[in-house]
Amino acid sequence: MADHKTNKDQRYDRQLRLWGDHGQEALENAHVCLVNAAASGTEILKNLVLPGIGAFTIVDGHRVSGEDVGNNFFLSSDSVGKNRAQATTELLQELNTDVSGNFVEENPDRLLDNDPEFFHRFSLVIAVQLEESTCLRLGSVLWNAAVPFLVCRTYGLVGYMRLVVREHTVVESHPDNALEDLRLDQPFPELTNHITSYDLDNMEKKDHSHTPWVIIVAKYLQKWCREHDFQLPRNYKEKEAFRQLLREGIRKNENGTPEEEENFDEAIKNVNTALNPSKVCVSVEDLFNAEQCENITSQSPAFWVMVRAVRDFVQAEGRGSLPVRGTIPDMIADSDKFISLQNVYRERALQDAAAVSRHVESHLQAVGKVCIWGTLHMWNAAFLRVVHCRALVEEYGVDTVHKDEITSCMDNPDSEMVLYLMLRSVDCFYQQHSRYPGVYNYQVEDDIVRLKLCVHSLLQEYGLTVNVKDDYVHEFCRYGAAEPHTVAAFMGGAAAQEAIKLITHQFVPFNNTFIYNAMAQTSATFQL
Amino acid sequence: MFLAVGPLRKELADSLSSCRVLVVGAGGIGCELLKNLVLTGFKNIEVIDLDTIDVSNLNRQFLFQKNHVGKSKAQVAKESVLRFCPSANITAYHDSVMNPDYNVEFFRNFQLVMNALDNRAARNHVNRMCLAADIPLIESGTAGYLGQVTVIKKGMTECYECQPKPTQKTFPGCTIRNTPSEPIHCIVWAKYLFNQLFGEEDADQEVSPDTADPEAAWNPEETAARASASDQDGDIKRVSTKDWARSTGYDPVKLFNKLFKDDIMYLLTMDKLWKKRKAPVPLDWAEVHQLGRSQDDMCGAGLKDQQVLSVGGYSQLFQRSVETLRAQLKEKGDSAELVWDKDDPPAMDFVTAAANLRMHIFSMNMKSRFDVKSMAGNIIPAIATTNAVIAGLIVLEALKILNSDFQQCRTIFLNKQPNPRKKLLVPCALDRPNPNCYVCASKPEVTVKLCVHKTIVQTLQDKVWKLRRGAQIHHRLGLFASNNGKFLSDFGIRNGSRLQADDFLQDYTLLVNVLHCEELPRDVEFEVVGDAPEKAPPPSVPEEEKSITNGNKDSAQPSTSTKAEDDDILIVDSDEEPSSSTTDVSMETGSLKRKLQDAETGETASKRKRLDQQPAAEDDDDDDDIIALD
Repeated sequence: MADHKTNKDQRYDRQLRLWGDHGQEALENAHVCLVNAAASGTEILKNLVLPGIGAFTIVDGHRVSGEDVGNNFFLSSDSVGKNRAQATTELLQELNTDVSGNFVEENPDRLLDNDPEFFHRFSLVIAVQLEESTCLRLGSVLWNAAVPFLVCRTYGLVGYMRLVVREHTVVESHPDNALEDLRLDQPFPELTNHITSYDLDNMEKKDHSHTPWVIIVAKYLQKWCREHDFQLPRNYKEKEAFRQLLREGIRKNENGTPEEEENFDEAIKNVNTALNPSKVCVSVEDLFNAEQCENITSQSPAFWVMVRAVRDFVQAEGRGSLPVRGTIPDMIADSDKFISLQNVYRERALQDAAAVSRHVESHLQAVGKVCIWGTLHMWNAAFLRVVHCRALVEEYGVDTVHKDEITSCMDNPDSEMVLYLMLRSVDCFYQQHSRYPGVYNYQVEDDIVRLKLCVHSLLQEYGLTVNVKDDYVHEFCRYGAAEPHTVAAFMGGAAAQEAIKLITHQFVPFNNTFIYNAMAQTSATFQL
Repeated sequence: MFLAVGPLRKELADSLSSCRVLVVGAGGIGCELLKNLVLTGFKNIEVIDLDTIDVSNLNRQFLFQKNHVGKSKAQVAKESVLRFCPSANITAYHDSVMNPDYNVEFFRNFQLVMNALDNRAARNHVNRMCLAADIPLIESGTAGYLGQVTVIKKGMTECYECQPKPTQKTFPGCTIRNTPSEPIHCIVWAKYLFNQLFGEEDADQEVSPDTADPEAAWNPEETAARASASDQDGDIKRVSTKDWARSTGYDPVKLFNKLFKDDIMYLLTMDKLWKKRKAPVPLDWAEVHQLGRSQDDMCGAGLKDQQVLSVGGYSQLFQRSVETLRAQLKEKGDSAELVWDKDDPPAMDFVTAAANLRMHIFSMNMKSRFDVKSMAGNIIPAIATTNAVIAGLIVLEALKILNSDFQQCRTIFLNKQPNPRKKLLVPCALDRPNPNCYVCASKPEVTVKLCVHKTIVQTLQDKVWKLRRGAQIHHRLGLFASNNGKFLSDFGIRNGSRLQADDFLQDYTLLVNVLHCEELPRDVEFEVVGDAPEKAPPPSVPEEEKSITNGNKDSAQPSTSTKAEDDDILIVDSDEEPSSSTTDVSMETGSLKRKLQDAETGETASKRKRLDQQPAAEDDDDDDDIIALD
């Protein structure tokens, strides 16, 4: 058992560095459903099986064709004629024996007819190369069951992804430039006491140059405030003056030249960081104002109970501030000084966390639920996020379509938006002709005319006054609904990455439509 | 059957099946790329990789399975692809692309070269080979969620080396040996220590206190005296950390007390060092073990790697790992050497323990094994998804190149998540070549500032090239071994001298302008002044100059060196005898060409080659590191 664990640690070493053990655990507990084992689909699954997803189930009623073998790595010529779900499951399974692979030889439409609840059991459903009508049906089943749904499509040299999730909560958003949480603008009492315990003027030289910069800045801020009407340095000029104050604090030798004190250099460098006001950021403020935060019921997900508890904390104990994060950056200091400073922050963070859990408990009690509070790994109030996507019905509804987004993007006739409109048009074509345009070479010319009509009727139906260039109509006919492997491989990587974000609740997924133009190597995301 | 070529024009589809491409690297990107190539219709593919398969590759390198661990990546990748696509024609080489066998002629066999590499040395090399052969190159890299693809075409685009890349961080010897101030210094020290004790000894990786530390001395003369003493014989006398360890039978307790007590006490006697720094605190084995034989270190299931142990815990780990490594050494026989590998548990344990003990001694916060591994192995996180995206992009660029559509080619950056402008991908038009690039410009030059009296030939040979041109260890300026210890001034090289360095393998010549300077800062042996040659002042004293190679009449013995010396350096700009250089060039060319044909140069194949490149391998770690995301 222990051996197995080490083995896993080794196997997954390079990814644990990105999402940690708890991310890996979430992955290993996930069960993903793939509808259609076309090339894009197996590429997505490959990228989920390799990092060790718990289980997958492929739903596919197709028989393997020669075309499948040509663009799908997980099929070989002896699979021709077999069920596609079965054939690909066998080969995908080989990639990682820790993963449980299952398949259902069934057309998704039939499953939706007979057993729509079949889809409720999954952590995430991914559909690729799915016809529009089936996609919409599946979308509404999953929407009602609150199962996240990722639609993915490779159409010639165009890639498309759509995330359909009612509410996706992110505990660790891993923001790119997270600010430190040092509270130097409004130090909590324990920090003030700790700062007071330092006497910079009467210190051994060695201690002086090993005092953490946080202490130095805090000390001189106190001095500054006394001299400036209890106002912190606000603008560049004042900050520069404050830096000068720090510079003057550097010890001088017998000759009056300043010593080299790296901790002071660090302090001067970090003035901006230090003066960052400790306030609740906008994205967390939005969470506080959300309706789910306001009305905690017995049905409320843990995430919202937590958000509410944090809000209560901010209004009560926190006096307007979030709970202290409790981590401090590395800095020049000797171990003792660093550790005692770290402990001041850490202990305060533990206290704050305890206060938050008290709020959690009281809310749960109020709605008659027992506290089932698992340990949330390194949760960090400032990094909480939530993503709401629109339902497919809303996107497709004549009254609810995001017309403005489409029209304003189409001011640039080569915006990726035109590719979206073309994809909708080929779906319209499929509805009328039960096939995609250009799949038979001899029909390409006629199909161009037919597809143009589809574009026209789509725009008319939605009342869109935009211009779609003929070039795009030709290009989409030329594609003949092909699924080139290299575009499928790209989409496989991109979609699997989103799937991992959804499963681990780390990093913020896109919202809600992603378009990839393989010819120009451009991409865009739209809210549709 | 190949619907895959549906959206491609017929001529392009045809050219795919007839063209020949080279994939350099069969790791994270390489595996994906091979799959994409065969499924897009490429038929003739050659793949080269010197590496073997490791367990930690399996989370993304999908052509490999557990039973392949230890086998050649290139070979297994080929077999796996053929299993699915038997019609492809794939040639696999389990070898370093830097092996001189893969010369310009070899590169000319291809219509396109695609890099899927993990280290800068090899990237630089392939870049130059492709420039020399005038073959388009697609360069790529990933790191975690980030990735990048670009196209390099001689004379049309920037080459891989047109923009200077941030150099690998290196640390001055005395910081490592005497005054570490950051955990990384202790980790580097522990890796050196591993080699000193169990691996190949390297005089540049000394771990004992450095008595010649200029900062420790009371006056400059004394420093100079000490420095020269240690240069001449000091290090050589002390060299035998290994012999000493051997004589104790690798007794962990004796080792512990020497490294963490005696050596530290010795450092404390260099009291100048500790005037402004916090002095280190020696550790004694007996005391550490009296303090706590508590069991808390040994418990803790699961996330063992991410725990930080106590000093007692690390000293036990030190003991255990020394014992294991001793046994390994014994098993291999007398003159055996171990090779440090971050994925080899006892080797990693040893470095974790030794580095942490030293961190503790120097009052730093200790680190978990997981963190130490990251830093020691320069581990770049790597996942399947990013590699898949990047390999997809590479093939699309490849299609444009085969279509001769260079105008449409792009450099593409992959972001972690859509940027504020909602773009996941950021495509950029390719830049024109940098006219001052000393790799792809027609007459490249570089100016270096050094002291001709203090710099020895070996230094110029190794370090000028290494630092400035990205760890090109194979790039020896082919001076004969017997001259390597001599100072540049011994050859009449002085301020304003112009040296010519040739790399015959890469069909490349660089002019080096020497700018003499007596006073260089501590730990700096030379500086690169910038690319513009005219910055070098005119030579102050006109001087007769000779070629280094045949200037030293008594000892010029062309084949004393066993290394593949495919490069050479000559003085070309002798102020008074310009003609001599011309002759030298041709003579040298002849002799080197001959050497290249010697069989012995070919033997440095496979894994061994990689070890020779240790300095280059500083950033080599995973199979898919990033190019330069700055």
